[in-house]
Amino acid sequence: MSSSKRITKELTDCTTTPPPNITITLPSDSNISLWHITLAAPPESIYHPGKFGLIVSFPLEYPFKPPQITFATRIYHPNITNESSGSICLSLLKTDNWKPSTKIVTVLDAIRQLLVEPQPDDPLETRIAEQYKNDRKEFEKEAKAYVNKYAKGPVKFSTTTTDGGSTSTSSTTAPPGEA
Amino acid sequence: MAETERDTELQTLEAIFPEIQTPKPNDPYTIALELPVTPSKPVVVYFPTASNDGPPPDPTAGRVANGANPHAGPAIAGGYQDPDQQAQPQVDSHELAHLPSIRLELSFGPKYPEQEPPKVAISTNPPWLPAETIKKLQDDGPRLWEDMGRDLVGFSYIDHVQQAAEDIFGLVSDAGALEVDPSHKIAILDYDIQARRAAFEKETFECGVCLDPKKGAFCHKMTDCGHVFCVECLQDFYNSAIKEGNLAAVKCPAPNCAKERGKSRSPSGRKRKKPKVFISPSELLQIPIDEETVRRYVTLKYKTELESDKNTIYCPRQWCNGAARSKKHKRPTGLELADDSDDDDSSASEDEDSEETPEGEVGKSKPYNKTEDLLAICDTCSFAFCSRCMQSWHGEFVGCRRAKEELTAEELASIEYMKAHTTPCPTCAAPAQKTHGCNHMICYRCQTHFCYLCSAWLDPGNPYQHFNTAPDGRVTTCFMRLWELELGDGAEVGYGFAGGRAGQPAPAVVFDERVEQFIPEIEEATDEEDNNHNANAGRPAAAPAARGQAQQQQQQQQQQQQQQQPLPAGAPAQEVGIAREGPLVLRIAANNPPPPPAAAPAPVNNNPGVANRGAPRGRQGPAPARGGRGGAAAHRGGNQVQQAGAVQQGRGGGRRGGARGGGNAAAAGFGPGRGGRAAAGNYRQNNNNQAQQHQRRNNQNQQAVAAAAAAAAGNQHDMVEMLEMLEGNDEEIDPRQEEWVRQFVRLALNDEEDEFDEDDFDFRVPV
Repeated sequence: MSSSKRITKELTDCTTTPPPNITITLPSDSNISLWHITLAAPPESIYHPGKFGLIVSFPLEYPFKPPQITFATRIYHPNITNESSGSICLSLLKTDNWKPSTKIVTVLDAIRQLLVEPQPDDPLETRIAEQYKNDRKEFEKEAKAYVNKYAKGPVKFSTTTTDGGSTSTSSTTAPPGEA
Repeated sequence: MAETERDTELQTLEAIFPEIQTPKPNDPYTIALELPVTPSKPVVVYFPTASNDGPPPDPTAGRVANGANPHAGPAIAGGYQDPDQQAQPQVDSHELAHLPSIRLELSFGPKYPEQEPPKVAISTNPPWLPAETIKKLQDDGPRLWEDMGRDLVGFSYIDHVQQAAEDIFGLVSDAGALEVDPSHKIAILDYDIQARRAAFEKETFECGVCLDPKKGAFCHKMTDCGHVFCVECLQDFYNSAIKEGNLAAVKCPAPNCAKERGKSRSPSGRKRKKPKVFISPSELLQIPIDEETVRRYVTLKYKTELESDKNTIYCPRQWCNGAARSKKHKRPTGLELADDSDDDDSSASEDEDSEETPEGEVGKSKPYNKTEDLLAICDTCSFAFCSRCMQSWHGEFVGCRRAKEELTAEELASIEYMKAHTTPCPTCAAPAQKTHGCNHMICYRCQTHFCYLCSAWLDPGNPYQHFNTAPDGRVTTCFMRLWELELGDGAEVGYGFAGGRAGQPAPAVVFDERVEQFIPEIEEATDEEDNNHNANAGRPAAAPAARGQAQQQQQQQQQQQQQQQPLPAGAPAQEVGIAREGPLVLRIAANNPPPPPAAAPAPVNNNPGVANRGAPRGRQGPAPARGGRGGAAAHRGGNQVQQAGAVQQGRGGGRRGGARGGGNAAAAGFGPGRGGRAAAGNYRQNNNNQAQQHQRRNNQNQQAVAAAAAAAAGNQHDMVEMLEMLEGNDEEIDPRQEEWVRQFVRLALNDEEDEFDEDDFDFRVPV
């Protein structure tokens, strides 16, 4: 119904006054309900120089139903699944909590905030959450390794990630070149 | 010329105020104008309560700014301040943005403007403006005309009034409050709502859902939070949410709205578990949402509420499965949720509170709920059932079948006791416990006549046939056993029946009354127990505790052993039609004059079985005595039925039964002669039932656990004493007792009464 109208409105809002650290592209001109978003991790987050690809998919019932947002870029984060699908745990996006007047900008802001401040008490990856709480140093080391491995260079939105070799074991192959 | 000046002014005014009216059709120079009273910022309006016992309110004036409220400070418009009223708490205040408009009537006479000022009339509807204010405003007209050098004053004056209206004619106190006579309250509030609505409709809002700007007329402002959305979006949103059953979404669509309201409300003192965030059905209708959808919303909400309550009981009927009526969740009537809008959540949370505060009494253990709590009635099909066993309602006095592990030790003991010491009514299964008397029972509930030993139906016209030889010569297994268990079934059950109305004439026994008397007594467990303790203390002798289940078989054996009467094995129990009729025996008994002394075994007219019974059992010493008592039929009426209903109710069932026995006997007027009877009973036991007693004792030993559980410690003690006594009397009759029996028989034959002193027995009977 009014979903495309509202999405168009939000898209124009986002392009005229783009939210910080965020660029929006449409993978297909004919489909306005699928957005590709490049999110640059804010400087205060440990993911900092990394750029992350997010896929936003608006349901037909939008805004009555929440949009679906996933990380296309792998990230080592307590609230984001450590796999190629990259689901996000964000209460704002849960069907029960979703409010139709929540704008996508608000959601993107919340995701950016999640990079700065993970919520280990409401985790999707319990192991990472534990590590975040108990061994912050190791966590940061791993997170940075992930950034170096996946979040450098041009953002890819394809769901097929290049290598899924080291999923559980810590990526010791992380290049030590980071200052 | 003056004509032209007037006309020019009128034209000008009409151009400025197009809404100007000419109320008098034949006078074009009288104009009327409604001037809105819209303060520059919303003003707090107080409506002092009518029971204001300060200075009597001036009935003519509007009482505005009387200074009666502590916030108002000194009155401005000629009011006065009463220090007494300072202490009065301000109640009923509202912040209003609009007050009812004032109507200004200007009349320009023919001599206006040179010689005559315009005539001014000011009124308000309702008359909330005080008379002195109106007077002052009206006087302003001529004054202004004077000031302007007697010139055209129309516009200046209207402008003056408008400006005065902006600060409500100076009526607002320093604290920003305005006091208005409470009789205008509704009209004033109503006006404010309408004016706000009108203003709202003129405004433009950006709907947060479709992000389009919309005129207020196409928008809805949420009642609770004030967020504005366009009607179209709200309809789309709520319709789809209700359609999908996503009731959680039926809230204000603004992000975090409910959450923030919850936060803002919680620190404000009153403990609220959750703020009201759901939208009331009436607001949905206002938006507007289809009535049908709203109805669905109401129903679904009620359903989910029931489902989320783990205490909800559902109808056991397969095709129904409706929820039982509950005080907590009222079925919504019409389109209103029963716990309506405002108190929606507050009432729910209060209920939750009340549920939690009594230290988890609810849910922890249900066994001793009052029986009325067990009765559940389906809200859908009105089926009455027991919420514990989920069977159709079995009444308060019938235990329900449950898995053993659900029962407490006390309940198990009660059940054991009931098994052992009660006989179910063959019609309604209500357990009856005999406290004393013969085995012809009449159910307290359905008035069925039945045999206590075998639970067979008895012919109400001739109930004793069952215990005698049938006309065709056959006998039942209960042949000659009318008086077995005469002192009652179960330990001490016979204690209480002495009755508090000893010596009074036997009143006509009406069963309904008895039932009524009987029911409330159940709840008064403590009193009865106390009484029973007293009884226990003073009376060691007791009826033997015969175990009900084994009882029949056992007694059969006893009969074979003790009585030389041939007993045809397996003789068919003589069942007579279901007796629904009132107890004939009792009715006759109540009015029966004492039988003639000559009639030793005292056959009662309607009672041939009793009459005959004496002889075959003649070998038993006290038989004539019993016969005599049979004659005093009032006794039989009184003790005929002993309800054991309370037994299943819980603690100390047996003892309670005993106490109730007393109450019943009292009700039936069975007072005199009980001492004799009791003694005779003892005698008979000692003398006649020795073997039986032994056998029973063995039996008791086997079932000692159950008995111990059922009976309190004192009872056990009594039981032991009783047994000792019986053992001691194995072979010989105590000469004293023998003497007693002789005397009793004599008394019975003469239909006399022993001078029995009530103090002989140290027990009391609940009255």
